[in-house]
Amino acid sequence: MAACFASKWSMAVSRSLLGNLSSNNLGSLGKPQDLTSLGYNGLFFQQQLRTFIQMRTKLKVVDNSGAKWVRCIQALKGRKGARLGDTIIASVQEAQPRGKVKKGEVVYGVVVRAAMPRGRCDGSEVKFDDNAVVLVNKQGEPIGTRVFGPVPHELRKKKHLKILTLAEHIA
Amino acid sequence: MRLEKCWFCSSTIYPGHGIQFVRNDAKIFRFCRSKCHKNFKMKRNPRKVKWTKAYRRLRGKDMTQDSTFEFERKRNRPERYDRNVTEETLKAIKKIDKIRVAREARHHSMRMKGKKAMERQAAAKELEQDIHLVKAPLALQEDPSLTLPKIKVKVSHPQAENQMEE
Repeated sequence: MAACFASKWSMAVSRSLLGNLSSNNLGSLGKPQDLTSLGYNGLFFQQQLRTFIQMRTKLKVVDNSGAKWVRCIQALKGRKGARLGDTIIASVQEAQPRGKVKKGEVVYGVVVRAAMPRGRCDGSEVKFDDNAVVLVNKQGEPIGTRVFGPVPHELRKKKHLKILTLAEHIA
Repeated sequence: MRLEKCWFCSSTIYPGHGIQFVRNDAKIFRFCRSKCHKNFKMKRNPRKVKWTKAYRRLRGKDMTQDSTFEFERKRNRPERYDRNVTEETLKAIKKIDKIRVAREARHHSMRMKGKKAMERQAAAKELEQDIHLVKAPLALQEDPSLTLPKIKVKVSHPQAENQMEE
């Protein structure tokens, strides 16, 4: 928990510094007053701004399709980026030696965990600890046969029922 | 619709409020407002934070065991809708709340029971020990040469009256 907390801080710093590298600038800035309204750029008491999943976002792969992590190339549907439950096109960055996908392949994925809070229809918000994706084919069926970790209810509305049945815990 | 409890402060979270955080080990943390959420992110232990129910229950400031708490336990089996049952439940909720509030008030008064006596004792002790902060010590010791000795004079009323009449 402490390790991922430290990595969150460093990721926030790197994201704010690399904000202008990505094409979707508006999405990455979010609420600018949080960063500049403090007199000092103190990292410790800044609010973590979690934003969309956009180009060059690294995502963890939580199925057994063979890939370890992917980098988002394109968020289908969404000018600012993908959110929880959306599909993305990604490029496999690291893969296990004998898997269904190889490094460098361009694949489709469904975002099953996003650090950015997503509003639910009852008015509350959900957010997860990290950004994770399940690789699917063009028709939306998962490539792997198992899904690890919790998945949200939002997949039901997006008609990713196969992923829901494979999931071990539905948040 | 379900009324949840905030993980940090144990207050009820009504629909439309709060944030739910799902950790990767599938543990769900629900927070009623950003105050609790921020305290959680700071990794504070609710058992050590004074305004939470967890702290108060731990230190015996609030009731821990009572039969009225049994009515609010989480039930996972859905009930078939029955209008009469719903009516009775609503009436029961009001009554149970009243009883619980009365019991909590009693618990509080039991907790504060010896307070007046202790306050009086503390005040007496303070008067004895710290009176020099208010009155100068010389003023407290009355100098015997300055005050005249007390003489008792007998006043004879009837003689005075006779003289007045004459």
